[in-house]
Amino acid sequence: MRARVRYAKTGKLRFVSAIDLGRLWERALRKADLPIAYSEGFSPHPKVSFTDALPLGLASTGEYAELTFAAPVDLDAAIAALNAAFPEGLAVLAAAEAGDGAPRLARLLQAVCWDLFYPLGQAAALGSAVRSANAADVLVVGRERKGETVEVDLKPALHGMAAWEETVRVMVRHVEPPPRPSEVHLALNSFALHLPGPALALRVAQGQPAPDGLLEALSGEFVPLAPSMSLPRPKERATT
Amino acid sequence: MTTVTARTFESVWPLLEPVLTTVRKPARYVGGEGNITVKDLADVDTSWLLIYPDAYEVGQPNQGVQILYEVLNERPRTAAERGYAPWPDMEAVMRREEIPFFSLENHLPMRAFDVVAFSLAAEVGYTNLLNCLDLGRVPLLAADRTDEDPLVMIGGHAAFNPEPLAPFVDVVCAGDGEEFVLEIDAVIASWRQAGWRRPEVLAHIAGVEGAYVPAFYEPEYASDGRLRGTFPRRAHLPYRVPKRTVSDLDRWPYPKKAIVPLTETVHERYSVEIFRGCTRGCRFCQAGMITRPVRERSKETIKEMVAEGVANSGFEEVGLLSLSSADHSEIQGLCGDLADAYEGTATSLSLPSTRVDAFNVTLADELTRNGRRTGLTFAPEAGTERMRKVINKMVSEADMLRTAETAFANGWRHLKLYFMIGLPTETDEDVLGIAELGLKVVEVGRQYGRKNKVTVSVGGFVPKPHTPFQWCAQDLPGELERKLGLIKRRVSGDRNLNLRYHDPLPGVVEGLLARGDRRVAAAVLRAFELGARMDGWDECFDYATWMRACAETGVDVAWYCQRERDEDESLPWDHLDSGLEAGWLWKDYQDAVTRAAELEDCRWTPCYDCGVCPGLDVQHQTRHLPIYASPG
Repeated sequence: MRARVRYAKTGKLRFVSAIDLGRLWERALRKADLPIAYSEGFSPHPKVSFTDALPLGLASTGEYAELTFAAPVDLDAAIAALNAAFPEGLAVLAAAEAGDGAPRLARLLQAVCWDLFYPLGQAAALGSAVRSANAADVLVVGRERKGETVEVDLKPALHGMAAWEETVRVMVRHVEPPPRPSEVHLALNSFALHLPGPALALRVAQGQPAPDGLLEALSGEFVPLAPSMSLPRPKERATT
Repeated sequence: MTTVTARTFESVWPLLEPVLTTVRKPARYVGGEGNITVKDLADVDTSWLLIYPDAYEVGQPNQGVQILYEVLNERPRTAAERGYAPWPDMEAVMRREEIPFFSLENHLPMRAFDVVAFSLAAEVGYTNLLNCLDLGRVPLLAADRTDEDPLVMIGGHAAFNPEPLAPFVDVVCAGDGEEFVLEIDAVIASWRQAGWRRPEVLAHIAGVEGAYVPAFYEPEYASDGRLRGTFPRRAHLPYRVPKRTVSDLDRWPYPKKAIVPLTETVHERYSVEIFRGCTRGCRFCQAGMITRPVRERSKETIKEMVAEGVANSGFEEVGLLSLSSADHSEIQGLCGDLADAYEGTATSLSLPSTRVDAFNVTLADELTRNGRRTGLTFAPEAGTERMRKVINKMVSEADMLRTAETAFANGWRHLKLYFMIGLPTETDEDVLGIAELGLKVVEVGRQYGRKNKVTVSVGGFVPKPHTPFQWCAQDLPGELERKLGLIKRRVSGDRNLNLRYHDPLPGVVEGLLARGDRRVAAAVLRAFELGARMDGWDECFDYATWMRACAETGVDVAWYCQRERDEDESLPWDHLDSGLEAGWLWKDYQDAVTRAAELEDCRWTPCYDCGVCPGLDVQHQTRHLPIYASPG
């Protein structure tokens, strides 16, 4: 039985690398005593596969993984057991069974929604920078690649961008390599000089692009580009 | 009336968080691991910061720290948190951003704690210890500390000669820490309640069995520079501080909940100490000498600990730890039971025993029923039978070859053999014997598979305090290089033999710190000031820094390392009583170097009066039946 999960990586877990994260998953699966399937071969590994790695230091409520079980499991009970076994900062938010003909998980993740949380007092500058960025034909920023800086235009990958208060929500289409929040910040900074960097970037969700938003990969729930009401700011910086 | 000082300290997390992505492996600094205990320091009477002064990935798995962490945290009104030495990139950031040394549980600065206790498994952590204190804004010299400063404590095997650190520490724990820390904790609680001044606190602590307060003792030197002795400077203090010994390991089943790291460490497994102490009597081995007598944990307790420890951690490996795990009296039944319990699961079992015999292979076979037979490790330690008799490693060449044969025949593909060079009375023939033995084992391996491999690992011997070799001279690094060259030339060209060896230079500093006296402390401080850090890491260790520090402080390295001591010379660690009779140690040394006489294991042969059991009023705790030599 195959299942796909959407999970969150927040708080201190933001500083755990992709390789270490795989180990945390393996341990939690063992601790939760779930019948995970193991790969064949000399050193068998639990069958868990992850989609693209979250850059170190960033938070997410939109991470996805695919699990293969050796026996059928009750998904609600499995989520509860996993969440009890995870260290604080790692939590499964939703799960869905994947049938035999289901498309590959990566194909479901065509668009990414990011929230960039800026320091208080930047609302006006951000609003104007986002308006300018949306009106511009190109958004060229420098990208480090193998020790060299190359210029890339973010515009073709940009699905939409909106600002409210000190938060910038940006949706990008999943191209390789995908534009990073740090690059979006660079682009905004070119329209509003001396914009302090965002205190935190959160990968909100991933899914299929839709007009003015995206459809979350597992639930199909609509994630709007510009919410009608302001969202609570996460408390990452206040936690110890 | 209470005069508890209201000490409030802010978490350093808000300072730390923005810089974490600028350092390597930031998960080392965030805490948040599985099975940790996080208390509010406002809700406790006493607080401890337990530090392993090396990088997180080395320190986190340490058993000693985890045991004491749990023992202390089980007290509702006591909090213990952990800290590790920052990697140099993180140190630079901490100094630049003015982030003090912090704990991982609440990210509190070092000065928030009543006690800062360092676990010293080896000498290479000494400069890290100073660096941690310095980053923690605690005065490096005990004499400069005030009532507002934490107490600085050390324990662990290297603390059996604390003199090179004496000026920097307030309290030394000699021996087992479990009961010791609880008694110290009670003194600390009284300190806070009664509002004692620092000298009073230290005086109370000096009354705890196993506690050595260096400030209350003073070394005296003869005109030729040799030590005359280290003497108490206060009334009612013992001339020799007796070590602390926990007598029933079943009463101390720790760690019950192993801390599960978020990032990779050197040992990711649930480890249980199956016994403490060893009486094999290997003459080079400090651990075997200072942890006597043998105290076994029962099979039942071990099985319970493993079952719970695996379930509550999610670890996929279990380690059965001790100084020679195959020597546990119930080891066969234990391995069988555990192999049954975990057969068909992903849980693997490991027995880090290096005993050279077929029984060890049998146990390893049992633990790997599922078939993963990769490498087995043995420690013949020396290349010739004569040399092995000198060090009392009772293994014949026939034993070694028979053991190798059994291992290869049972499907093991790779044997690792540990050896030392620079041993007392060693000749070039003994050194070449290492190569010869390695090649013979390779020959055995070839009969069972063309690709079977043998790794010969060679380290330089460093004489350690409280061992029969504590009096002897250490080889110069150049001499070790020459001996290594003999081995290299003999084995080069054999594709199945892989030779591994260590740089001899760090051994010089290890030897200096192992047998140094209080005058060596100046060199430790100077080396720290000159930038010495992480001395156990090849990429950080800098020999020139240490030699410059010694030169500037008038410490003659050769005098400490290469000088043979007489029986009547006072040694810097004589006032720490490991239980061993100095007379017995000397006799054993003489037996070794004059006639290469072997000594049996006193677990199953008659007592040879090393002094430990009557001195501590404890006996071996084992179910081994004594073997009495048949008459004639």
